[in-house]
Amino acid sequence: MIHFKNFSFCYGKNETPNLHRVNLKVEPGQFVLVCGATGSGKSTLLKAMVGLAPHFTGGQVAGQRIIEGKDHTDSMPHETAEIIGYVNQQPEGSFVAETVIEELAFTLEQLGVPVPEMKVRIEAALAATGLVELRDRKVTELSGGQQQRVAIAAALSAGQKILVLDEPTSALDPQSAHELLDFIHELCRKEKLTAIVAEHRIERLINLVDSVVIVSKDGTVEQGLPADLLSRFEFVPPLIKLGQKLNWKKIALSIDQARKDIVTPVHFKKFSHHSSGKAAFTFSDLTVRYGPLLALDSIAISAMTGETLAIMGENGSGKTSLLWKLREELAECAMVPQQASDLLFLNSLSQEFADSDEVAGVAETSTAKLFEEFAGRLDTSIHPRDLSSGQQLALVLALQLVKPSQVVLLDEPTRGLDYAAKQQVAEVIQGLTAAGKTVVFASHDVEFVALTANRVVQLSAGQIIADQPVEVALSHHGKLATQIAQVYQTDGLIALEQVNAGA
Amino acid sequence: MIHPATWWLFGCVLALVAGSSTNLITPAAIAIISIISIVCFRESAVWTRSLGFYLALAGFVILVRIVFRIFFSFSDPSAAIAISLPRFQLNFGFGAIEFLGDVSWNALYGALVDGFRLAAIILAVATATTLANPRKLLKSAPGALYEIATSVSVAINIAPQLIESFQRVRRARQLRGKSKRTSRLAGIVIPVLEDTIDRSLHLAASMDARGFGRRGKQTPRELLTARLLGLLGLLLNLFGIFFLLSGLGSFTAIALIAAGIVSGFISVRITSRRKVRTNLVKQLRGPLDFAVTAGLLVLLVANFSGWLR
Repeated sequence: MIHFKNFSFCYGKNETPNLHRVNLKVEPGQFVLVCGATGSGKSTLLKAMVGLAPHFTGGQVAGQRIIEGKDHTDSMPHETAEIIGYVNQQPEGSFVAETVIEELAFTLEQLGVPVPEMKVRIEAALAATGLVELRDRKVTELSGGQQQRVAIAAALSAGQKILVLDEPTSALDPQSAHELLDFIHELCRKEKLTAIVAEHRIERLINLVDSVVIVSKDGTVEQGLPADLLSRFEFVPPLIKLGQKLNWKKIALSIDQARKDIVTPVHFKKFSHHSSGKAAFTFSDLTVRYGPLLALDSIAISAMTGETLAIMGENGSGKTSLLWKLREELAECAMVPQQASDLLFLNSLSQEFADSDEVAGVAETSTAKLFEEFAGRLDTSIHPRDLSSGQQLALVLALQLVKPSQVVLLDEPTRGLDYAAKQQVAEVIQGLTAAGKTVVFASHDVEFVALTANRVVQLSAGQIIADQPVEVALSHHGKLATQIAQVYQTDGLIALEQVNAGA
Repeated sequence: MIHPATWWLFGCVLALVAGSSTNLITPAAIAIISIISIVCFRESAVWTRSLGFYLALAGFVILVRIVFRIFFSFSDPSAAIAISLPRFQLNFGFGAIEFLGDVSWNALYGALVDGFRLAAIILAVATATTLANPRKLLKSAPGALYEIATSVSVAINIAPQLIESFQRVRRARQLRGKSKRTSRLAGIVIPVLEDTIDRSLHLAASMDARGFGRRGKQTPRELLTARLLGLLGLLLNLFGIFFLLSGLGSFTAIALIAAGIVSGFISVRITSRRKVRTNLVKQLRGPLDFAVTAGLLVLLVANFSGWLR
C-alpha cells in the first residue's frame, strides 16, 4: 500500500534531516502505530505519507514514495485524495462545512463523484461509522469523539483506503479514546482499511496494532512487530515498562498476557497519605453558570497544603470551569490554562523573563531561575513559540510562580506530551508539593495521575461524583484503572513505581 | 424556493427604487413589501433572526431624521407652522447658531420622506441578507469562482471559532499582570492571530488532502482567451465609470459598462468549463426566479422613466 524507499526529508538544505533514509512498508488492512518522542518527526512522517510534506510544509525530499504500486513522490496531496486520507489532531479545525452530511460530501464533490453515487456512498459511510442519526447535526455541536468519527466517515465515503491519523485521541477522555481506537481497529478488519496512527499514549492501542514504526530524533525510522520493537524503546507505557523492569524475555503487550506472566501476591510499596493538617482551601458551594447552562452545581471541595489533587471527568463535565472558579476565589494562586501559549506574546524568552520580573516586582532573573529549575538552561533569544509544549508549560508556570502563590492550578498539563516530558512535569509537580504548595490539576491521563496525585476528584455534569484517594479511584474495580492495577488486580497497587524489581 | 441570488437582486432593486423616490408612498410601500417578504420566506437560521434589529434600526433612522429637523429648523415665514417652540441662540464666536423655533408642516413632511427613504433602503437590504442563505449563495457560484466562494464559506464557518479563541485568550491574559512592554490589545491580538493562522494552515492542509484544488484539463488557448476577456471587461468597466462620473456622456458610459459586463461574463463561463467537481445539493433557478426577475426589471424601467414619480 505505502512503500517508502530511501526516503529523506529536510526543511532546509543544510539542516539536519527530519527523516533520514526511511524504508518502510505498510500492507493493506494493517493497523500501524507510529511513535517517537515529541519533536522526533512523527508528524513529519505522517505528512510525508500524504504528500503534505513537502508540498505544504516546504522542504526537500529524496528517495521514493510509492502508493499502491505507483510512484507518487512528486504528487500533490489532492492528486492522491481518492486513495489516501488525512485526519489531524483537531478535527473541528479541519471541517469545511456546516452539517455532517455536507462535510461528508465535500471530498466526494472535489473528486467529481456523480450525485446519485455520492448519496449511496455517504449513506454507507454514515452506517459504517454509526452516524446515521447525526447526519443533519452541525459538526461544531458534536463531541470530540463524534467529530473524529465524522472525519473518518468523510475519508471512508471518499473511498480512501489508507487513513493517516495524527494523534486522534489527544483531546479525548479515556473512554471515548478507547471506543475510537477499537472502532478504527474494526474498520481495518471489516472494511479492509489501512490505518496509520501516531499516538503518544501507546497504552491505548498497543494490543490492537499489527505493526509499529518508531521515529528517532535523528530522523531514522524502524519498523517491526510491537513486541520486538517496544521492548527496547525508551518511551513506553507502564505495561511494557513492567516487562522491562522485571526482565521478561518476551514483553507482554496486553493486560491478559501480562497477567499470566506476573507472580502474585506481589510485594509493593503502599501509598502513604501523610497530611500536614493545614487546610490550603475549603469551599462549600462553588457554582458556575454560562447563561442557561449550569457548568458547576454547588460543589464542595477542599485541599490540604502539600496535597496534589487530580480532577477527572469526561469532556464538558466542568473540569476547566472548576479550575477557573478556584482561581477566581483564591487570593494567591498560579494557573496554567489548557493552551499555555495563550499567555505568551513577546518575541524572546529573555523579554518574557524581564517582563514577568517587572510585572511581579521581583528581583531581576527571578523568572529565569525558576524556568531553569523546571526546564533546564536554554538559549534566551529563542522565540517562545519555538519551544516544545512541555517547555511552554514550564515557561508559563515560571511566569505564574514568581508571584507569591500557595496553590498551583494546571489544566491538562500533559496534553500532547510524550512519556519523557510527562515524567518531567511529574517531577515539577512533586517539587512544588515538596515546597509546601498545593497542586490541583485536571487530566484525562490515568497513568500520569497515578504518578503524581494523592487524591482524585471525579466530575460529571458539573457535580462531584467521587472524591477518593488516588489508589482507590484508579484501582482495578473502576473504569479509571491504570495498567498496573489491571494487571495485578491488587488493592492499593496502581503504579509501576510501587512494584519491587525483585518480585 | 427562490434562489438566493434572486433575493439579492430583489433587495438591490428595491433599495435603488426607494433611494430615487421623492414621495412618501413609494418608500412606505417598499418597506411593507420587504417586511412581508421576510416574514413569509424566512427559514429558521441564525441570520434570519435579525428582522427585529432591522426594524428597530429603520424606526430609529426615521426618528433621528425628524428630531434633527425640529432641532435645527430654519424658519420659513411663508409655510404653515406645525409646532411652535422657543428659539435658542448659541454664539460660538464665529457666528450664532439657532436651535428649535417654529417648525413648518413642509419641513416635517420632508424629514419624514427622508427618513422613510433611508428606512426603506435598510429594509430592502435586510430582505437580501435575511433571505439569501450565504452558504447556498456561495454554493451556486460559477465554477471559475469556486475557490473564492469556498474560502468565503469557510470564513463564515470559522468566525464563531475566532470569537471563542478571543474569549479564551482574554481570560488567559488576566493571569499575567499588566505588561509594560506591549499594550493590553497586543497581548490579546498576538495569541489570537497566531492561533488563527495555525488553524487556517491546519484547515488548508486537510482541505488539500481531501482533493480541494483539483482542476480539469484546459487548453492554453482557452485559458489565454478567458484571461484576455477578463482583462478587457475590467478595462471597459473602468472607462465606463470614468465616462459616467466625468459626465462625458451617459450613453457611452452605459454602453461601455454593459460591454464590460458581457466580456467578464464570457470569461467566467469559459473558465467554469474546467469544472471537475459535482455538487450534492445545487439549487437551480426556477420559473419563480425568472418571474421575480422580470417583475423587478419592469419596476426599474417604470421607476427611471418617471412613471412612479
